[in-house]
Amino acid sequence: MSRHSPIRLPNGTPEPQTVVKTTVIQGQAHASDDTRAEFNTILGSCVATCLFDPVARIGGMNHFLLAEPPKSARTGEFDSNYGLYLMELLVNQMLQLGAIKSRLKGRLYGGANINADLGAIGSANAAFAREFLTREGIEKVFEDLEGSRARRIQFRPASGLVRCREVAPVAAPTDKPLVRPQSALGNVELF
Amino acid sequence: MQPSNPSPGTTQPSLAIADARTVRVLTVDDSASMRALLRSALSSRGFAVEQCEDGQEALEWLASHEVDVIITDINMPRLDGFGLIEKLRTSALHADRPILVLTTESSDEKKQRARQAGATGWIVKPFDADKLTTALRRVTH
Repeated sequence: MSRHSPIRLPNGTPEPQTVVKTTVIQGQAHASDDTRAEFNTILGSCVATCLFDPVARIGGMNHFLLAEPPKSARTGEFDSNYGLYLMELLVNQMLQLGAIKSRLKGRLYGGANINADLGAIGSANAAFAREFLTREGIEKVFEDLEGSRARRIQFRPASGLVRCREVAPVAAPTDKPLVRPQSALGNVELF
Repeated sequence: MQPSNPSPGTTQPSLAIADARTVRVLTVDDSASMRALLRSALSSRGFAVEQCEDGQEALEWLASHEVDVIITDINMPRLDGFGLIEKLRTSALHADRPILVLTTESSDEKKQRARQAGATGWIVKPFDADKLTTALRRVTH
């Protein structure tokens, strides 16, 4: 399988002079239309979703690992609610920049099953990401998911160009499932 | 418009039986994934769930249907959550209907705008199903 996205810069598109790199860590989503921007991340069991609107030339990346279900959860092995939140955060950031949801193209990376002690958590993340794109009607144009190798992702959001390289598992952050962050406890405020 | 679950509460019968009547909830969200998650969480806790994909669809549906409480997202095509709340508050039928905002937005400015539009409460995603249930019971009591 190719490790490179089929997307190419159109002929005549000047290369940006300066690259502004941003690392997208677990639990984050970033979007941009800046031709200088590059989003980077390293994935083990986590999944990164790269979305791109080819008309508005706006892209975004998130980096998630399905969390362990909260104590109040009654069903389900993982807390897909938190993964869904990070997907929505990504889509909303892109829409605010001017992207149109129906034009979005999706690329999925990561979801490796590196640590046998964690079971098939990578596959669970990959399955969630695939299902999200299907449910939302977002065309998946490429995936490099599962397997047993860590991946380094570089994404240029304004061009949609993605580079994916395998790296040593030791380079990937520890992918132990997290409990839901304190900042995301679903608190209710009644007016 | 997605049809109501024909047997809400069947997986948690004790919850449904505990209520004198089943609370009817309309959820408004353009994300099919979020709609599925909300339907599952609320149906299993004894609520009757109706769903619309954006504010405009909700407005049209509510012109001829009643619910006990509305849960709406903010960022939606055609008519967003702010617009939906403002329009419902001018309607005699829904002027006092509890409306909870469920959103990824976390800014105080957006929260105040929802409050001024007439929202009853503000919930930041990802939601906690039990906290959401408690809020629904409270505003429909």
